[in-house]
Formats: sequence, C-alpha cells, structure tokens
Amino acid sequence: MSNHNAPAFPYPIPEYGTEPYWAACNEERLVMQRCASCGQFRWQPAPICIHCQADGFTWSPLSGRGRIYTWTVVTHPIHPAAVAKVPYVVVEVELEEQAGLRMLSNLVDANLADIVFDAPVIVGFDRHPAGQLLPIFRLARP
Amino acid sequence: MDSIHDQACIVGIGHTEYSRDSGRSELKLACEAISAALADAGLTPADVDGIAKYTMDNNDVVDIARALGIPQLRFFGEVAYGGGGGPVGTVMLAAMAVATGQAKAVIAFRAMNERSCRGTPRFGQAGTAPGASGLHSYLGPYGLFSPAQMVGLAARRHMHLYGTESQHFGAIAVTCRHHANLNPNAMMYGRPMTLEDHQNSRMISDPVRLLDCCLETDGGAAIIVTTRERARDMCQRPVHIAAGGLGAGAWNHRSIVKDVDSPASESTVIAQRIFKDAGITHDDIDALYIYDHFTPLVLMALEDYGFCKRGEGKDFVGDGSRFRWPHGGLPLNTSGGNLSEGYMHGMQNTIEAVRQLRGTARCQVKDARHAFVSSGNAVPTSAMILRSDA
Repeated sequence: MSNHNAPAFPYPIPEYGTEPYWAACNEERLVMQRCASCGQFRWQPAPICIHCQADGFTWSPLSGRGRIYTWTVVTHPIHPAAVAKVPYVVVEVELEEQAGLRMLSNLVDANLADIVFDAPVIVGFDRHPAGQLLPIFRLARP
Repeated sequence: MDSIHDQACIVGIGHTEYSRDSGRSELKLACEAISAALADAGLTPADVDGIAKYTMDNNDVVDIARALGIPQLRFFGEVAYGGGGGPVGTVMLAAMAVATGQAKAVIAFRAMNERSCRGTPRFGQAGTAPGASGLHSYLGPYGLFSPAQMVGLAARRHMHLYGTESQHFGAIAVTCRHHANLNPNAMMYGRPMTLEDHQNSRMISDPVRLLDCCLETDGGAAIIVTTRERARDMCQRPVHIAAGGLGAGAWNHRSIVKDVDSPASESTVIAQRIFKDAGITHDDIDALYIYDHFTPLVLMALEDYGFCKRGEGKDFVGDGSRFRWPHGGLPLNTSGGNLSEGYMHGMQNTIEAVRQLRGTARCQVKDARHAFVSSGNAVPTSAMILRSDA
C-alpha cells in the first residue's frame, strides 16, 4: 500500500454527474458522455450537450488513443506533492474519436526530448494514493 | 444610446503603496485607496452612491460603505471573472450604472493581501485540500493548479503554430521592468532587467519562466466614475470612456487552456465593437495598457485585439523597443504593469492610463489622446478605450 504520510496531489471527489467517469476509470476504462442526438463526445460531464444542447447521452468508451495537442513541463513545485515529482509533464491530448475532443492529464515515462507535437499517445491508469485510478498517457510505441 | 460611448468619465484615481506585506487589513487597504480616489476627484463619501467590485475581492460592499460613511448606495455589482476580468469590467459596470441614471458616482476598486496571504491566498501556490471537486477534480490530480501552468500549455501551442519564441515573451517583461524603473512606487523600482536576465530566469512551467510571470502584491487601488455632465465640476480633467465592452464565448468553456487555434477569443468579441464604438482605429492609440499576468498572454492579446494579426505577435513585439518610453511609438504599461509595478489585478494599469490621459504620467506620452486598456485574457474579459477630451 501507499505511504499515507507522503504528500499527494488532491484526489478527485466524484460528484453528481461525474461518478460514472471515475467509476469507469477504476475499471481501467476511459468513458465520456456522448450525446444521444448528435453523437459528439464531451470530456467533462455537462448537463446538456455542449454542441447541440440535447439532453440525452450515454457513457461511451473511447479507445484511449490520441495525439499530443500541447504540453508543459512543470519544474516549479507549488504543491507539497510536487516537490518530489518535478519535473512532471501536464499534457493536453486530442483523442482520436473526434476533432477538438481534448483532455488534460499527465504524460508519464517519457524522455522530455521525445515529446513532440502530434506524437501518438495511449491511455493508461495510475493509482492515486487514496485509491482512485486516474487516466494518464504514455507515448505510443510505433 | 446604443453603446457606452461617451456616457461616462473617470474622475478620480487612488491607490496605496504596493508591497509584499501591507501590515493591515484588506478593508483598510480598500478604504485608503477609495479615500485617495475621492480626494483626487474632490468628492466626499456622500457624493458617491455605487460600488463595483471584483468577485474575488474579500471586502463586502456594505462593510466598505459603512467604513467610509457612504450614506446610501443605489448601485452595487460584481464583475464575474474578477480576477483578471476586473480592471475594466468594474469600470464598465460603474459606467453603465451612471449612464443609465441608476447612480450618480460609482467606486470601482480592488484591494488584497495576496502576497502576504493574509486574507487572499497566494495565486502562485496550490491549496492543500486532500480532494478536489468540480472542474478541479479533473486538474488537481495531475498537478495542474496554477495559471502559470495553464499558460505554459497555451504558450507552447502558440510557439508551435506561429514560431513565437521565448525572447518575444522576454521583450514584454523587459519593457514593463524598464517602466517600473522609472516609477518609484513600483515594487521592482531599482531592479533593472535585461533580456539575458529573462532568458536565464528559472523555468516555472516550460515555456513560462519566472520573469514571464506577474508579481504577487498587497495593496489597494480605486477609481471613481461619474457622468460626463457631473465630471465637468470635478477637480481633475475628466478622462472619457470612449468605448468598452465585456467578452466571452463558447471557447471559454471553463477557462482551462486558451484555445490559440481558434480565430475567435474572448478578446475578439470585444475588439469587434470597441474601435467602432469609439470611432477610431488602432493607429489612434497613443498608449497601451494590456493586462500582463503572463507575457505570452500579452502577446496573444495584441493579436486578438487586432494590433497585429494572429500569429504575427512575434514580429509586432520584436525586441520590444516600440513599447518602451520615451522612444517607442506605442508605449506599453508605462508604470510597470502587473509584471513589475504591482499586481493589483490590473487596476494599477487602469489608473496609469488615466494619468497618461491627464498628462500627469511619469512616462508621459506627448499629447496622449487615446489609451487602450484591457483586463486579463484567457478568461472572460473586458477592454476599453479611454480618451483625454470629448
């Protein structure tokens, strides 16, 4: 088990509307709300479709494959848990299912020199010390 | 009336010293700044009947009215995203209140102990709650907390799309520091900076370096707005609000990372109207007050407000010499800005724009007639054009 004395980044608190996202992560599945009317995905849960305003949606699986849209290498720790983690990479990934469907995460196990725009990445799941599995990304091997 | 054009004037400005530890309460800072602005205008608390505040300001409107002895309030409002959206947004609320006759004279202010962390938390530090909810439940677990980190993501993308380089960001930082070194009230007075200093400053969230980031500051700043008619009877030469507006769009969904691929932005919404409303072009602007939370966002604001085209910010900024008083043709943030004067969430830039148009700035642009003032971009924002005479 993890060392509960070590500082950790905050864990996500599942809330009304977000529980299925985090529950699926705990089963190592990346799912998002997909509009029942226009079929568009949205990363963060929303009360109605942000594209067509329709009500209905399904929680739909994604392949977890995408490309690097942008990234930043955090080198200045501003959280107690960051002290041991810097440098770490925050990445914005554009997912393959839909143009403009982007999510923020960490890029892990990458040499900084290997990170380039549009590099293919694939989702993985890392366990937060509090137990929740978090979707993270790795560079996809060709 | 189909716009705010020439309906209201700024007649008073006031501020405290800007420091790392004010040694007094945020309410005291607000009252000192507002009292100074009232005195500057030649008004008493009984002459004002409205207060416009930043949402993030901890001071309560009625606490301020009680402390200052304002007998009655007929208008009070807060600007959302103030925060960075406040330095023009509060002035716009005030202008709309007086233009519609809802109030006679309105205070716009910002006061905080943000650097000493007595009241307001430091914006450059993360909270340490064990769990994150709402939007932050999707960011905090990844160590994504601060505006600097989010700007790092957008700046990296801008560099990729348009060939912008760190030295262009540095040229903006050096410009603001140059002006701060001509302003004894600036926190960075007496601390000159070169482009080499900028390039050698430590990385915060690549490509954002330490010297790309604004200061953190304790202090207070205030402005008094009234109608054009009433302004004629005040102590100071009135500064006219020639045009102004607020802006946001669908691309601001929850303000995570500025979408530099989109041709539209929160700022382009405003740019579409304010030059037309003011009846001028970009070439008529004599001094620029671009909200400088982070240098990459200043460059992007110049593009979005149409001072240059999207992607041409690097060439427009160049080595920054065009922005530096006294030789540059378009002086930028002439008191040092958020980057080097003090971080009053931009209100210090609005105050300096007023000084510039009164003809009382230290870095005075000869015969300055029009100033452009913006709030912070990358969130829903606001901007205005001020004019020295009607």
